[in-house]
Amino acid sequence: MSHTKSLPKPTALDRLKARFFNTTLNSVVTLVLGAITLWILYNLANWALVHAVWGVDQGDACRANRDGACWSIISTRWRIVFFGLYPFEEQWRSGLACAIMVVVAVLSCIPWFWSARRLPFLWVAGFAAFYILMRGGMFGLTEVVERNWGGLALTVFIFSAVCLIGMPLAICFALLRQSSLPWVARTVGLIIDTVRSLPLLAIMFTFAIVLPFALPSWAIGESLYRVIIGYSLFFAAYQAEIIRGGMQSLPTGQEEAAKALGLGYWHRIGYIILPQAFRNALPPTINQFVITFKETTLVTIIGFFDVMTSGRTASGTAEWSFATLEMYVFLALLFFVFVFSLSRYGAYLERRLGVGTR
Amino acid sequence: MPDTQNTAIRIRNMHKYYGVFHALRDINLDIAKGEKVVICGPSGSGKSTLIRCINRLEEHQEGEITVMGTPLDDNVDNIDEIRREAGMVFQNFNLFPHMTVLDNCTLSPMLSRKIDRAEAEATAMRYLERVKIPDQARKFPGELSGGQQQRVAIARALCMAPEIMLFDEPTSALDPEMIAEVLDVMVGLADEGMTMVCVTHEMGFARRVADRVIFMADGQVIEQGTPEEFFDHPKNERTKAFLSQIVGH
Ligand SMILES: Nc1ncnc2c1ncn2[C@@H]1O[C@H](COP(=O)(O)OP(=O)(O)OP(=O)(O)O)[C@@H](O)[C@H]1O
Ligand SMILES: [Mg+2]
Repeated sequence: MSHTKSLPKPTALDRLKARFFNTTLNSVVTLVLGAITLWILYNLANWALVHAVWGVDQGDACRANRDGACWSIISTRWRIVFFGLYPFEEQWRSGLACAIMVVVAVLSCIPWFWSARRLPFLWVAGFAAFYILMRGGMFGLTEVVERNWGGLALTVFIFSAVCLIGMPLAICFALLRQSSLPWVARTVGLIIDTVRSLPLLAIMFTFAIVLPFALPSWAIGESLYRVIIGYSLFFAAYQAEIIRGGMQSLPTGQEEAAKALGLGYWHRIGYIILPQAFRNALPPTINQFVITFKETTLVTIIGFFDVMTSGRTASGTAEWSFATLEMYVFLALLFFVFVFSLSRYGAYLERRLGVGTR
Repeated sequence: MPDTQNTAIRIRNMHKYYGVFHALRDINLDIAKGEKVVICGPSGSGKSTLIRCINRLEEHQEGEITVMGTPLDDNVDNIDEIRREAGMVFQNFNLFPHMTVLDNCTLSPMLSRKIDRAEAEATAMRYLERVKIPDQARKFPGELSGGQQQRVAIARALCMAPEIMLFDEPTSALDPEMIAEVLDVMVGLADEGMTMVCVTHEMGFARRVADRVIFMADGQVIEQGTPEEFFDHPKNERTKAFLSQIVGH
């Protein structure tokens, strides 16, 4: 196709014509859908921007204006969304803790950190800093018990704890399922399949409410941690299968070459098998993170004050109850920012790894 | 009388089964230090299986294998020891695609020989120079040609300073113009006195380098001898048939 170079480059208008107005039917469909889209956008912009009220700190001032959104609810009540019941004077700690976890999350997106030593170190250190800031009781910070944690900070805590516990557990599961001892492989397989066949909600209920009856009192602990452990198990069961898929797609020659060089089992796993398995399994792994983040909202149902509950509470007072919609839009935006950036990052990685190292 | 001091590989009454399939039947073989042995034979005759039993990529069911005085049994330390003493080069290279050429070469010396990075890299560069690709050290395997990859694989094995090198059809996956560059490296290695066990159908290489040629069929050693005996005066009918086939090509 060498002659295409000499043709003039199609302009945007040409492409538009070719794609959307090539037949009568297509033209009609384009016009109708275009009109609907414009109408929706127009109304949305009217509501969200043109007639919206910003920066008023009393609900009453907004209430009269029902043509537009009342974003004042966000500017006056955002602290509840972010920090829940966390004591007001200490909320900077909660904010700082979240910021640290965001930094950890961003850093772990950088390939330099992808080694068996750096990544766990980063997460353990970040998580420890998060926990110390939130919980206090040391370094001169006043103690704030888990009961009083809430809002986005609690959601971030649950999410990162689940990842931190669930990922190593998933790797263990994946390796044990490949064990050469048949009874180990089969037992672990059974555990994974059982957990995967239960709904997350059922697992959370079991760990939060049923388990205390079965455990000796010293082992019960805070219900938040029981839920996190249950959720980690659920995460690990799914992630283990993702990792196993990644391992199975490796050519057997890789493990043989590592063996032939005299590398022991753990060296083979840590330096040859897992790094490649994770590369192969990157898209489903990122997907798993996205799902896990979104489903942290389920802890609401067992009575935790996570970001969703906090949002509802923030718009639940008599003064602000008319602005529930605005609050949900804001919550949706919070989740969208996280999930969308993660999936864009995933797409970028796929492209990068696709061209770089193979 | 067998001289254990000078024996690199010693195989006695060895049998290997894949499930019920009897892949190797009663193999007896002594390979001296510094000896170069070429194994050939028709496809499916068990050449790969034999060479892979020597470093326990496959497990044998009966008989004994001793490599550099270490018996190959279920002791994991012995197995790892033997694997470090016996480097292996595969038909399809099996370089680690997620590491640079240099990292491929330094990984095992650093991890299992506990050599520090600077020394391991210096050694790696020396061997990469020997296989004539020092300038590719920072590239990834996927960026190299087949012949270059196979030379990296040889360098990688040599970095472990093995006493023995095992080659399983190292040139079969290569384009004709790249075969020579790999064989050159192997000839150089042989001239330096490396103990080599090499599955290959490169008869020119066998004549030039081998002290002994072994012919296998149906999991058995059918005939062995010096290259002159083997190529010019084969005794067994199957050997003759096999030789006429590869010469015909
Ligand atoms: N993993 C395995 N499971 C079952 N049978 C196997 C396995 N590997 C090899 N075999 C069988 O063992 C026999 C010997 O195989 P081997 O790979 O050693 O042959 P080869 O001489 O190397 O052949 P080629 O020249 O094609 O590489 C063959 O019949 C093969 O089908
Ligand atoms: Mg073979």
